[in-house]
Amino acid sequence: MSHIVINDKMCKACYLCMKECPMNLIKVSDTKTNSLGNNIVEFNDPNNKCLGCAMCATRCPDLAIEEVIKD
Amino acid sequence: MATQVFKIPDTIKKDAKFTFCPGCDHGVAVRLVAECLDELGLRENTIAACSIGCSVTIYDFLNVDALEAPHGRALAEATGIKRARPDKFVFTYQGDGDFASIGLAESIHAALRGEKISTICINNTTYGMTGGQLGPTTLLGQKTTTSPTGRNIEYYGYPIKIAEHIALCDGTAFSARVSLDTVANIRKAKQAIKKAFEVQLKGLGFGFVEILSSCPTNWRMTPEQAHERVRNEMMPVFKPGIYKDITVNE
Repeated sequence: MSHIVINDKMCKACYLCMKECPMNLIKVSDTKTNSLGNNIVEFNDPNNKCLGCAMCATRCPDLAIEEVIKD
Repeated sequence: MATQVFKIPDTIKKDAKFTFCPGCDHGVAVRLVAECLDELGLRENTIAACSIGCSVTIYDFLNVDALEAPHGRALAEATGIKRARPDKFVFTYQGDGDFASIGLAESIHAALRGEKISTICINNTTYGMTGGQLGPTTLLGQKTTTSPTGRNIEYYGYPIKIAEHIALCDGTAFSARVSLDTVANIRKAKQAIKKAFEVQLKGLGFGFVEILSSCPTNWRMTPEQAHERVRNEMMPVFKPGIYKDITVNE
């Protein structure tokens, strides 16, 4: 099962990764915030659609997406 | 079988947190440098010369030896390091104001001498750290805090095209301009950085990469709008491409 690991402490809520995901699996979290109070992103993949393409991790400027596992 | 297709490069310090603004492409550029150092196996053999500006904090993030230089003099310092320790891999990471305005003499003459040094220059058309003043690469018509009506030719002159100028120097082995506005361009940027590192390892001469980067804070845009600006306004003026590569003729 392909998936990504997001480090919540590193996300600065720039939302650049959301546009890159070809399956639109990254969404703004309703509950999680960073130290500045901005809503950070979360990985939402209930149907195992993640391709493991690592486009989100390549785009992320802050190393918040720290692992991409491809199956 | 599960395979890890992306991980944080080993050259980046554990628990390092980038202090750049949200959406700033500096973070991508630092990561690409770290990935290239990893892949070429240079981490234990590298000395970095750091500049002044937003690029200064690179020694907080990379697990390599580093020396801080006065404003604009990173390449003068790197020359000293490389001549004293020719066995070491030496690179500088600079901004456009540091490289092409305050340190232009040091930069051009390092290229003319053909120093075996690699340089990464981040071009975001403004002085980012000090609050968005007009820099040497500010585009015509661009509004900054010191050109509130926009840059005009009569008063401020034209922006400098760094990669082309460095390519004209005979000591340069590799000069390229890349962009970070899309994932495809990020991958091309990594190839260019690797090439600039390799020409130093082969002892061919000066390796240079100019990276077009966004500055959402000082452009007063969202990160996505800033990438649109890189694509629509910067790239027609600062055309990406390889301007010199002496390894092609070999």
